[in-house]
Amino acid sequence: MSLLGDLNHSAFFPDSASSFSSDSDWIFYFITVVCVIFFVPICIALFGSAWKYHKANGEPADSQIDHNTTIELVWSIGPSFLLIIMFYFGAQGYLNHRTVPEGAYEIGVDAKMWGWTMNYGSGVYHPELHVVVNESTKLTMTSQDVIHSLYIPAFRVKKDIVPGRYNYLWFKATKASEKATAEQQAELDRVAKKNKETGESWSYDDHQFTPDGYRFYDLYCAEYCGTNHSEMQTVVVVHETEAELKAWIKKYSARPDGVTPAAYGATLYERRGCKSCHSTDGTKLVGPSYEGSFGTMRQLTGGSPVKVDENYVRESILYPKAKVAAGYQPVMPSYKGQLSDDDVNSLVQFIKSLGDPSAAGGEENNDTGSAAAETGDEASAAETAAGDATETTPQN
Amino acid sequence: MSAGSLRSGYEVNDPGYPTPQENYLTNSKGVLSWMFTLDHKRIGLMYLIGVSVAFLVAGLLALGIRLHLLSPDGALFNTGFFKWLAPEKQPNDIYNQVFTLHGAIMVFLFIIPSVPAALGNFLVPVMLGAKDVAFPRLNLSSFYLWVAGAIFFVMALMASGLDTGWTFYTPYSTTTDSSVILATTGAFILGFSSIFTGLNFIVTINTMRPPGMTWFRMPLFLWATYSTSIIQVLATPVLGITLLLLIAERTMHIGIFDPEYNGDPVTFQHFFWFYSHPAVYIMILPAFGIISELISVHSHKRIFGYRFIAYSSIAIALLGFLVWGHHMFTSGMSPMTTIIFSALTFTVSVPSAIKVFNWLATMYKGSISLTTPMVYAISFIFLFTIGGLTGLHLGTLATDLHLHDTYFVVAHFHYVMVGGTLVAFLGGVFHWWPKMVGRMYNEIGGKISAALVFIGFNLTFLPQFVLGSRGMPRRYATYDPEFQALHIMSTYGALTLGIGLFIALGVLLYSLINGRKAPANPWGGATLEWACTSPPPYYNFDRPPVVGDPYEFGNIEWDAESDRYVKVEPKRKVVPSETPAEKPAHAGE
Repeated sequence: MSLLGDLNHSAFFPDSASSFSSDSDWIFYFITVVCVIFFVPICIALFGSAWKYHKANGEPADSQIDHNTTIELVWSIGPSFLLIIMFYFGAQGYLNHRTVPEGAYEIGVDAKMWGWTMNYGSGVYHPELHVVVNESTKLTMTSQDVIHSLYIPAFRVKKDIVPGRYNYLWFKATKASEKATAEQQAELDRVAKKNKETGESWSYDDHQFTPDGYRFYDLYCAEYCGTNHSEMQTVVVVHETEAELKAWIKKYSARPDGVTPAAYGATLYERRGCKSCHSTDGTKLVGPSYEGSFGTMRQLTGGSPVKVDENYVRESILYPKAKVAAGYQPVMPSYKGQLSDDDVNSLVQFIKSLGDPSAAGGEENNDTGSAAAETGDEASAAETAAGDATETTPQN
Repeated sequence: MSAGSLRSGYEVNDPGYPTPQENYLTNSKGVLSWMFTLDHKRIGLMYLIGVSVAFLVAGLLALGIRLHLLSPDGALFNTGFFKWLAPEKQPNDIYNQVFTLHGAIMVFLFIIPSVPAALGNFLVPVMLGAKDVAFPRLNLSSFYLWVAGAIFFVMALMASGLDTGWTFYTPYSTTTDSSVILATTGAFILGFSSIFTGLNFIVTINTMRPPGMTWFRMPLFLWATYSTSIIQVLATPVLGITLLLLIAERTMHIGIFDPEYNGDPVTFQHFFWFYSHPAVYIMILPAFGIISELISVHSHKRIFGYRFIAYSSIAIALLGFLVWGHHMFTSGMSPMTTIIFSALTFTVSVPSAIKVFNWLATMYKGSISLTTPMVYAISFIFLFTIGGLTGLHLGTLATDLHLHDTYFVVAHFHYVMVGGTLVAFLGGVFHWWPKMVGRMYNEIGGKISAALVFIGFNLTFLPQFVLGSRGMPRRYATYDPEFQALHIMSTYGALTLGIGLFIALGVLLYSLINGRKAPANPWGGATLEWACTSPPPYYNFDRPPVVGDPYEFGNIEWDAESDRYVKVEPKRKVVPSETPAEKPAHAGE
């Protein structure tokens, strides 16, 4: 069994990196071998007959035999036994996929157009899926909009994520991800820093490492979900130990000390999927661009214009369908309950930092402008305080 | 009645017998005589032109898909031309609309009506020995429903396109702002067109068989058409209901499919595949019928295992209704349901395998003429076998979890639908072309087209099996760079395939201008359509034709002088109409 299944660098398969991979590959090869055993004689009969019995017009056929019940019954019933074997092993493998072991490590998966959010508990969300080697992991998956499907080719697992219900998937990764050497990590850090300046997102394909310096397995959306379906990808990192995973989770648990809310907001913008619909350079994507928006007046669908201030941004994050910008579809999912107050504030500050300086300065509408700015400052100050308070709770 | 109508039955096979001056193409003139015709042959020909146009459009869209996938970040739709053509749309959106329309047009406007409505309309009454179908007016209305459905698709394209995939999965299809309602209305109308055709054939075959045409003397093409018609009549209404519910969900939010209104999106998948899985048998069964005819006639040998082939068509039609769940193995259905669907899926592979073995046994010890239709038929057996065998990987649950929604499925599906249905359709068109238009085409040109189609097709889709097993998901406008080499190979294959298809079209059209006049029986077939002139007279047969064994080639001989096959009188067995040539059937029991 494992002889064939353990061929890691086969021409036909990606890495074999979960406890399901070898089973799935073994059955695949078994079926393929059976197919070849049937296909070769069929081809010989097909092309052999075409060549051997190819005759000039008018020459009679060598035989006019038109049935042989024994042969026909044999070739009708005979192959069925092979089909039963395929069915049996296929069903057995499938049941393993459906039987989640007790005590599996649980991670929540939230899919939306067109990004992934993995929920590691205690308010830690990240687009990458991080698991521990040789430990069963159970994913509890929900979708906020349309059907998606989580597919990790290296693990040979796939499950649709259907809105309105929970779907589960489990696997046991068998090969830990390689880590970058100190030199490579230095290079990665350099790129990450540069990306931060230019606003580029991390290219997994170019670097073949995550920004944290891990090799990874691809994770795709396999159910067509609209415009950027093909870009709804993330990666899976397999850690050597649970301690290592915990350390990684901790790194992302909150805004680190000394990082300004605006800078942390830029990180969240990348990490929490804002980026797939909102640009920071004025490009019109699915949602409005952040560039130069803060402080301006915005026309709403079926309503009067509203000023883009702290309250509007906050409301748009938590209740996106309440006020929809004209010319855009009401497709943004709510982030209520998924972002801490500090997170929301960080995003508000980030968007504010990209705002229209002239409008914020209030040169044109002196009265309203300065009034809004004042109330805004108060609100943000209050939120920062609230954010700090909540931030300390999980750490205690 | 015209001079042509005096001649009927096998008599016209006499060498040198003058071709009648009038046939179904010439007996009346003018556009109106075509638009209001009730003649099944003219309706078949109009369908042939219609589905060919649909095929051309959907084929060009396929080339668009392939050219876009030349580069991992997308190629074709990123170019300036498309920015100019559709400045509002992102390249990904264009790609999504193109693959959706490719699928929807191919399935609803081309493959489903291709063999039954185009070739079937022309052939069913003639092969049966009848003057027309049972309901000629229904037949014409079926054609105009097809036209109306096609117009709705064009309107959808003109309005805001369609980006749901041909499967219209909810809730994406209930929330997207593309023209879902126009397209589903089109598909709904096309469903009625399909039902009308199926109903017509069922009634025709049940009630209009001439004396002597017993069920087991029917050519296998008719068995295949009959099985197909059963599916068309029983399954298509479910599609109609599903599409109406989808429209109601979109417009009135009735809460059946959309979770936002407490609906269940997986219900839509059950409804949709309850039609659409049997529909793939609507697409492939008639192709089986064509191949049974082609292999037997061009091998000049009795078809092997007539009854097994006939029964296997019916078996496929019935089993095909029980396996729709295999499209949803990853959707989260209960394990019990999933396993039952997997088991049922395996049962449907048996009757398909039976047919392949029977065709091979027919060729064995035959007298094979490697004509263009035969080359297409051989190509079909090769390609369909690959398509069928790779279905096993997908029916097996453990491997399907990996392969589902990857290019492996795309390749499997195209091996069956293009390598299978399209190749059989082309083979059938070349086989019956002389009968339909009364002209012979250039054999060398025909064979070049067959060879290019074969090579191009394999080059396109073999790499896609590997793409799929390596983990490339389908319906991706952009992809990881590691997949590029295989995508490039596939694109070159598609271009070759395209050239082959254009050559086939050219060869057929050129025959109209410069083809040799076709004899009544250019291939030596024994079914009834070869007993009337090429092209057939308006009423096919003036008096009920003499019905013989459809695969008895003993009394058909090649006449080198006149370059045609003729029926040899002395050898003709005159047998009482009750029991002729039933021998093979009885001996088997």
